[in-house]
Amino acid sequence: MAKKRLSFDFVFIYAVTMLLIVAILSPVVIILLGSCLNTSFLGLSSEQWVSGTQGIFTLKWYAYVFKLYGESMAFSLKIALLSVIICLVAGVPGAYVLSRKPFPGSRILEELVLLPLSLPGIAMSVALIAAYSRIRGQWWFLLGGHLLYTLPFMVRTVTNTLRSFDVGRLEAAAQTLGAGFWQRFRLVVLPNLRHAMIIGSLLVLAISWGEFNVSFLLNTPLHQTFPAALYGTYTSNSFQVSSAATAIFLLMIIPILIAVQWIGGNELVSVEQGA
Amino acid sequence: MKHRRAVLILPLLALTFGLLIWPTVVLALRSFQSTGDILQASSAAGFSFRNYASIVVDPYYRGALLHSILLSLFVACGSILLCLCPAWLFVRKEFPSKRFLRALFTLPMSFSGIIVGFIVVIMLGRIGFVPLVLERMTGRPWLSGLAYRFCGLVVAYIYFEIPRATLTLESSLRKFNFQLEAAARSLGANRWQRLMYVVLPLILPALLSAFAVTFSVSLGSFGVALIVSKRFSILPVELYDQLIGFLNTGLAAAMGVVLMLIAFVVNYSMRNLGRSEEERLG
Repeated sequence: MAKKRLSFDFVFIYAVTMLLIVAILSPVVIILLGSCLNTSFLGLSSEQWVSGTQGIFTLKWYAYVFKLYGESMAFSLKIALLSVIICLVAGVPGAYVLSRKPFPGSRILEELVLLPLSLPGIAMSVALIAAYSRIRGQWWFLLGGHLLYTLPFMVRTVTNTLRSFDVGRLEAAAQTLGAGFWQRFRLVVLPNLRHAMIIGSLLVLAISWGEFNVSFLLNTPLHQTFPAALYGTYTSNSFQVSSAATAIFLLMIIPILIAVQWIGGNELVSVEQGA
Repeated sequence: MKHRRAVLILPLLALTFGLLIWPTVVLALRSFQSTGDILQASSAAGFSFRNYASIVVDPYYRGALLHSILLSLFVACGSILLCLCPAWLFVRKEFPSKRFLRALFTLPMSFSGIIVGFIVVIMLGRIGFVPLVLERMTGRPWLSGLAYRFCGLVVAYIYFEIPRATLTLESSLRKFNFQLEAAARSLGANRWQRLMYVVLPLILPALLSAFAVTFSVSLGSFGVALIVSKRFSILPVELYDQLIGFLNTGLAAAMGVVLMLIAFVVNYSMRNLGRSEEERLG
């Protein structure tokens, strides 16, 4: 009797999980198909297809999107890479101090660093605009918003790693062998954090590439991030062009996420929050 | 020793102050200025609560605020209920494609809101994929245009909360001692009793933290609504309109402060509740 009930639970859990998998995957599949298939083949027609292209498969829309939004893609990529660099430079040493050398107020600082994850992105972008209205037109102003929402991921990944093993003992060993502070940091601490730094960087890259809530308001007409450009596509372009643009967005993000899981292995990568 | 520590922490400290504390202070001050353009950094307008008053008094803004809170509430509850299943599966079962599956479940997290907006339109719009399929099968386009209703917005938001809910629940469920449930069963508790008196109290902290996460993310997200909500408004979209459309910075700032306060209060109270619950259970 009990066994039968248990199996009902299993069936339910598997069914809901399958439903979620289908719900996650089906739009992605439709977008990928829509970006490269002739839609008249599916029994739908659109004006663009009446004139010209024959056949089922085409990459015409990709070429169009690259021509149209190549610049904003490059800009997004630039912002994402700069975010990674700054997060590494500011986040890793900071996380080291927060977890290994706490000082009065370090808990509060850590809470503050993680706080943006639970603050509405749009509110923070208004705050940034209000505080720094003078430099609003600069392209790097956008970087501020991105850092606000990517830094927590780097800091948390690194502090989690530092708290999961006793790096202090390794440091003490190095110290008895005569290593100075900077030597220890460079030769003992950083190599042990390589794993965490790679995962953190990948997360920062993915979050920054997809960030919309903050960057939409911080965008300037001359420098648009790719997600902000996507908004323009959705409101003014055809299904095929929108699909191709979205497909490019996805093709960038999917390998990153798979890499995060692969490198992270069975340790749960803490990606609990984010905008 | 001290100065080395200071050197290492300084960049993080500077970024936190420059990007979080100072802008928040300015935002709070600005929200009390009833008029003032965002381009004039030092426009001397009077101190008043008029902006906050208008959010509460004006039925349109009040409606947007209520919609926002309701939406976040529904989305948080819905995504937690759905995502308990995959989270439980990830914790309890070992299967070969687990990493790939987990990567799949993190996929919607990096979708910006607008992409989810696009997805919900092509799936549940007037001629979306689901209505088309249902029309083929049943002869009637069920669910057509759902995307533009409140329900559609809830579905869309749940879509991008799936990763957050699943991962938060998974990391908390890992601490759950599943032997306790088996023990309760051996003591003769039926399924309902086990759920109510053993499982639920034990996973309550996990549920609370997942609620806080999903609630506050939904509260601040506006990409989806920017694309699909035409008949009703939510507060982030209103904020965007005030800032870009009417250049009414004071009101936009007040809305930002309201959103922040709600998110903060929910997070804080959920965490305290979870902590006291954990202490109670030992």
